[in-house]
Amino acid sequence: MRWTRRRLQTVTTWAIVAAWVVFYAIVLATADPLPTLDTAVMYLIVPPLLWVVAARLVLRHWWSEAGARMSAMDLPGRLLAAAVAALPERRREWGRAMTAELAEVGGRPARWRFALSSVWATLWLPPAGGWPVLALVAAVAVAATTAAGPVVGAAVPGLRVFAACFTGLAGAMVVLAVARSGRPRLPVPAPAVLVTGGVAASIAVTVIFLRREPAAAEYLPPPAAVYLAAVLAGCLGVAVASPRWLGANRLAPHLAAAAAVVFAAWFLLVIRIDGTQIPPPLVLALALVLPLTPVAVFFAPAFAAGRAGRSFRSGLQAAVWTVTAIMPLTYAIWLPESLRRHAIDGKTLEGELVAPVGTNLASALVVCLGILPVLGLTLAVIGASLGARRSHRAVPHDPS
Amino acid sequence: MTRIRRPSAQTTAVVLALAEQPTAWRYGYELCQQLGLKPGSLYPILVRLADRGLLETTWDTAVPAGRPPRHLYRLTGPGRALATELAAAPATGTAIRRPGPKGSPKERWQGA
Repeated sequence: MRWTRRRLQTVTTWAIVAAWVVFYAIVLATADPLPTLDTAVMYLIVPPLLWVVAARLVLRHWWSEAGARMSAMDLPGRLLAAAVAALPERRREWGRAMTAELAEVGGRPARWRFALSSVWATLWLPPAGGWPVLALVAAVAVAATTAAGPVVGAAVPGLRVFAACFTGLAGAMVVLAVARSGRPRLPVPAPAVLVTGGVAASIAVTVIFLRREPAAAEYLPPPAAVYLAAVLAGCLGVAVASPRWLGANRLAPHLAAAAAVVFAAWFLLVIRIDGTQIPPPLVLALALVLPLTPVAVFFAPAFAAGRAGRSFRSGLQAAVWTVTAIMPLTYAIWLPESLRRHAIDGKTLEGELVAPVGTNLASALVVCLGILPVLGLTLAVIGASLGARRSHRAVPHDPS
Repeated sequence: MTRIRRPSAQTTAVVLALAEQPTAWRYGYELCQQLGLKPGSLYPILVRLADRGLLETTWDTAVPAGRPPRHLYRLTGPGRALATELAAAPATGTAIRRPGPKGSPKERWQGA
């Protein structure tokens, strides 16, 4: 079957809709109490609608850059192209060499053999610092991962799995960075420091939370601990070892970092004003600012970067950086604020129920590291696409 | 007396194949077919040879329309010297002992 853009978009649309319908049916089946009909219909329609729009926009832009070329290849060609795209810049030439040779190979079995063997070769091209250095770094990473679980678990039992996973993932990223690049690089220091600080703060507040409330460990079961470790390690990876396509544009990460700081301030404000008496003149201003801020924070950087860079890719870079910066910052705010709130009235930070303080840990994971990035990235992708589209129209009138 | 690790049999075969026509540029696929090597073995060897200055590369742009430019390879001066030494040395064991000035082709190969 030959893939076209329209076919790919159609399949993606139905996949998203089907996945959401199944997921939401399970949610409704286990919900107690059931939501009202209006609410249920809104949740059934709005989220997948936004995701479908965002996914179709991503596919449209991807297709115009690489998709059309990829669709003209056979499967071995696509496989090798994907492997070559993952090569570090200094080895790209060799990837292109293998791709060019594959074009000379005739016959389906021979092409498969050549492509698979070439993919294998891309995995074993000599690393930047040589194999001994890589082996040493890998050994240190394995030792650190092995030690992290028991050492941290002795001090904070609830963090044993998290510590092992986070150290392992961070170690794997270090090994990968050493293999791919001869020297460390930090293309955007300020956003990188912000994200790294957010990750460090997230770990610190989790440790403090579990030290103060050891029983809360039951709200961080192994799957949740693995998820927390994966998200925080991923954020760290984007910050200090960002892939080439994420670090190429300096404007996008800076816009995203500014947006993340605004969002963190908004988040803190929302938490702190909950239940307080607000002076009447401020009520109207807050009624406008509070609902619009989160939408603007995700939408605006992607739109602005897309417009300034005259490309969807620039907007997408801002989108990824925004989500990456916001996740650890909001998580790092949520936990200490939830402790404060619980000490006041015994409620969770969501303010709806009297519950064990540990439920805040689960809520922080779901909201800050689950719902926020999914919805935020969706809005940001739409912003990036609109920014890029508008710049296309502006180009013919651009006097430069 | 310097202890020099002899290149692997596959590397030796690649170097000697390239040395058959030292001035001719060769394609990767052509070398694969000639030596019966898979690209997964050949390309890492070519990369190591190039990293050590034993192999030079260029792009062949005279390809049929619609095809990408192909990568071409041939030995450099030190690469040819290494080929001469490999052709002369008996291929016994994984290490050989030989006196030699620092920076000789075999020393360049060390650690590959």
